[in-house]
Amino acid sequence: MSSHDVTVLGYAVVVVACVVLQLLSLRPGTRIPGFTTLLRRVMRGRPGRVGVITAWAWLGLHFFAR
Amino acid sequence: MTESRSTAAVVRATMATVVHEPVVAIMLVAAFFDGISGNPIHALLLGGVAIVLGRDIALGEPNPPIPLVERGMWIPGGWTVAAFSAAFALVVGAFPRYSWPATVGVVAAAAAAIAVAWRGPLVVHADPGPLPRRGVVAWSTVLVAGALWELEALLLQPSLTLDSQQHPTISTLTDPVLSTHAGRTLIMLAWLLVGWFLMRQ
Repeated sequence: MSSHDVTVLGYAVVVVACVVLQLLSLRPGTRIPGFTTLLRRVMRGRPGRVGVITAWAWLGLHFFAR
Repeated sequence: MTESRSTAAVVRATMATVVHEPVVAIMLVAAFFDGISGNPIHALLLGGVAIVLGRDIALGEPNPPIPLVERGMWIPGGWTVAAFSAAFALVVGAFPRYSWPATVGVVAAAAAAIAVAWRGPLVVHADPGPLPRRGVVAWSTVLVAGALWELEALLLQPSLTLDSQQHPTISTLTDPVLSTHAGRTLIMLAWLLVGWFLMRQ
């Protein structure tokens, strides 16, 4: 397995872990919050809200803007 | 803003905020690294928001986070946003990446979203309250691991501005898709819709 494959596998593991956590959050009585719940908690105040939206904005700049 | 506070007091409070408020500190660090990577516009956005947010926190949030829908602001429906986003992505995606027209379009959309987020949440949601520690640790571990994996790939490149196929960052992996008009349109549409989803949280 090449370095390229290992790197891509690492990203895949992170994505799968997120999906697993989201699925676990759907179980009754779970102690794992869903991603939306997590976001709402983080974004309930201005610093978190502006921080999350700025991170999103940066992604757009990163992919498209000079 | 309290006019009685001296500039020096505001600067001291802002510096204390930078130290104690992780969002501001993270944005300043990201701005620094984006700046030395040759991305002055990105660094300006991150650094500018960090400085104004730090000052804002130091002075105290001037108004409570009343949802904008309760202040009478018109909030477009989902289909309206989707149609506008598709048209925007089709037009702006026609320009090559890193061109000035693409830059202006993306910066305008980003600035508008940040400005709206600054004023308050779009809609009302019940506060979920403190989250179980186990769940927060689990999500934090996965998200930080993802960020560190990306950082590791970035640092294993020949330089910060030279991609590596041996250790590709997510940007490097998406380069082939973003080299076509259709790919740019789809990714930009996804970016806009994710932004709309985030703004409604």
